[in-house]
Amino acid sequence: MNDCVLELSNVSKKYGSFTAVDDISFAIPKGSIYGFLGPNGAGKTTTIRIILDILKPDSGTVAILGSNSAMTVRHRIGYLPEEKGLYKKMKVWAIISYFATLKGLDRKSARRRAFELLETYGLKDFAEARVESLSKGMGQKVQVLSAVAHNPELVILDEPFSGLDPVNQAVLEQLIKDMAANGHTVIFSTHIMQHAERLCNRLLLITKGRKVFDGTVPEACAILPRRVLVESSDDMAVIRELDGVLAVSVQAQVLSPIQAVPDNEAPAQRLWEIQLQENADPRIILQKCFESGIALNRFDYTPPSLHDVFVHLVGSEAKEHQFR
Amino acid sequence: MRVIALIAIREYLENIKTKGFWLGVLLFPVIFIAIFFFSNKLATSAPTRHYLLIDQSGQYAEAVESAILREHQRRVLQEFVSYLQENRKDLDLERTPEVDTSSQVDQLIDDVGNDELAALDMWLDSGGLNVALTMMSGSLRVDAPAFIAPRPQFIAAPLPAGIDVDAAPERIIEQLRPLLTGDRTMIIAGQPASLFAVILIPADVTEDIVRPGTMPAPQGAAGIQYWASNLTDTRLSSAIQSSVNNSIRINEFSAQGIDIQAVRDIQRTRLPVSRLDPKKEAGEETVSAADTFRQWAPVGFVYLMFISLIQSLQYLLSNTIEEKANRIIEVLLASVTPGELMMGKLLGIGMSGITTIATWIISFLLFISFYQSTETELIGQIINVLFSSELIPWFVFYYVSGYALYSGIFLAIGSLCNTLKEAQSLMTPMMMILVVPLVTMSFIAQDPNGTVARIMSWIPLFTPFAMMNRAAAQPPMIDIVGTTLLLLASVALVLWLSGKIFRQGVLRTGQPPRVLELLRMLRT
Repeated sequence: MNDCVLELSNVSKKYGSFTAVDDISFAIPKGSIYGFLGPNGAGKTTTIRIILDILKPDSGTVAILGSNSAMTVRHRIGYLPEEKGLYKKMKVWAIISYFATLKGLDRKSARRRAFELLETYGLKDFAEARVESLSKGMGQKVQVLSAVAHNPELVILDEPFSGLDPVNQAVLEQLIKDMAANGHTVIFSTHIMQHAERLCNRLLLITKGRKVFDGTVPEACAILPRRVLVESSDDMAVIRELDGVLAVSVQAQVLSPIQAVPDNEAPAQRLWEIQLQENADPRIILQKCFESGIALNRFDYTPPSLHDVFVHLVGSEAKEHQFR
Repeated sequence: MRVIALIAIREYLENIKTKGFWLGVLLFPVIFIAIFFFSNKLATSAPTRHYLLIDQSGQYAEAVESAILREHQRRVLQEFVSYLQENRKDLDLERTPEVDTSSQVDQLIDDVGNDELAALDMWLDSGGLNVALTMMSGSLRVDAPAFIAPRPQFIAAPLPAGIDVDAAPERIIEQLRPLLTGDRTMIIAGQPASLFAVILIPADVTEDIVRPGTMPAPQGAAGIQYWASNLTDTRLSSAIQSSVNNSIRINEFSAQGIDIQAVRDIQRTRLPVSRLDPKKEAGEETVSAADTFRQWAPVGFVYLMFISLIQSLQYLLSNTIEEKANRIIEVLLASVTPGELMMGKLLGIGMSGITTIATWIISFLLFISFYQSTETELIGQIINVLFSSELIPWFVFYYVSGYALYSGIFLAIGSLCNTLKEAQSLMTPMMMILVVPLVTMSFIAQDPNGTVARIMSWIPLFTPFAMMNRAAAQPPMIDIVGTTLLLLASVALVLWLSGKIFRQGVLRTGQPPRVLELLRMLRT
């Protein structure tokens, strides 16, 4: 584990009787893009604050860049907090340069670096503008830039994509990839699964302060059995006898688009879910249906997405949390 | 250290770049200069006030009229004395003997008995003033402006039509009431005017004279009736009272066969009182005007400290809350420690406070050097006296320590609140505490080593103000050393504790904490 830039061991944090982080351990290898996923209120931000030594954990240890406190290595860390804010009256270049100087850059190179970044990420024309004149998305871009202006080895971005339009989301994705390509480590939290799927080497999924998954994206997808959705008016029970099929169940009654009211004469269309073993070939279902004379209206095979995994792992709890 | 400097410089630059800052800073000198010009104008243009004298007794009209004249002479003399003081050839506060203009004039007026007023009149009007000016011209400066005697302020109004001076007093007042209350106006010298006062002397007024041994007349409209809506300007009524009483006493003297001239001479006999300062060199003990300024200067410094502190603390508070509301604080805390952030802020805003004071001093100096007049020269001299006094180091020390003490508290408050509105409620008690030194300021100035002053000095929150207040009065060594140590210890304690609150407060959201929660913050 020597190559790890960050390692948390049994970290817990309570606010009064509420446990925000519950015995979390994980390690992040150098140069990786690490996704930090979880529903709202799962403890992501608290965990990040503990990592940055802004908050002290009640128990457990943090090892970051070879130190036990982020404060001693803070010049090598970049941080974008979840709730974004900048000094409203300052000029765009000045604020990036100010944060870079706080992180140890000298005034001159901080200024040069600010203009460089603004040019690279399409904000050159706004360098002299005041922060208050920027749109929310642009302000957020500026803040991301000020988080990475000192070229940190480890960047922690809390919800970097929220509030950005698709074009700027792509710009930000590029920035994260650039950082990783230069051997830096990026940790970002999000609940937009597509970003995590596209960018991350590894994922950490927490809910209610507990770690529920830590691994690569394919590993995450393997948690859910692969499934096939078919639509038919016939009974699909025969499919269950096939090798590699785990379960067959009716998902829903399907109304034909023409007749809104189900006709007793015409057999009802039903949506079936067929769960497969990991190595099973979905084509065997098609073959079996053909052999048994089952008429299919639809055959849908998609490997489970990260979204499905997320919903599967935290779904019920997240919902409960939302309405509480 | 480097980070603290960076934060301080940013705070400072951002602060002084705002329009609001300069508005606040420049408002003070602007108001001061405006008052300066305005009061000059005001002094020369006091409103003319019309009075009506109805003497049914036929005995005291002269005394009342001379009282009014005397009031005018008093102002002429006052003006003349201050004119002389301002336009002396060698204006030097160190050598100007300390004189209280009004008391000296009072003395002079007292000397001039009631029926000697004519003599005083003559002295002033028929060459008296001119003679005095010629006499003084040797010691006046070459460029001294001419002396302008003030206009009489109280002018007799003509008797309005339809008033019977011999009617019952109640009836006369009934008729004049609308003029007195301003409901009606009368034309005097082509201008509409209302009556400032009606002096009504009933025919039987002599019966109301109070002598030792007699019971005073029951309360009410006994004696001379002085009717006026303005209750605050008592100059006229008190002048009439003393003048009439003087005249009654002279009547009594003659009634008892006492030589009036002898009484008058006796009344004018007096012994001067020289004010000497035991702390000064032998031969120079006479209290000069500069000495008096030096004694009172601490009050000015306390004011300056108060205004500047309030301004800085407000900046500190709003600035911390802004950072908290904008969530900048979290980015900052990933880069700097809360302690560094706090110190940076304290220094940055402290520099703004010093900038404020420096701006005030510079603008006053500029004003004095560009607007040459006798008054500004006087102010210039006062400033010279202050700067040459040993009060400046005291001021610097108490300003810095007072700022550190209060800013620590305000920073902690700011870190606990999300909006200025929330902060207001926490701030109110602090503001009340800050007002206490201002209220006690004049007591302390008059009795700088008294009990109130000493008690106030030993309460750390008041130490900077109280000790500054006492600075010119050589407080006992135990007070100086003791309160300084206590103050420094309190500053260290407050900064340490507010550092704790700040560290936890800045990341808090939601309502300001309850007392219990606050205590928990202090313990961790």
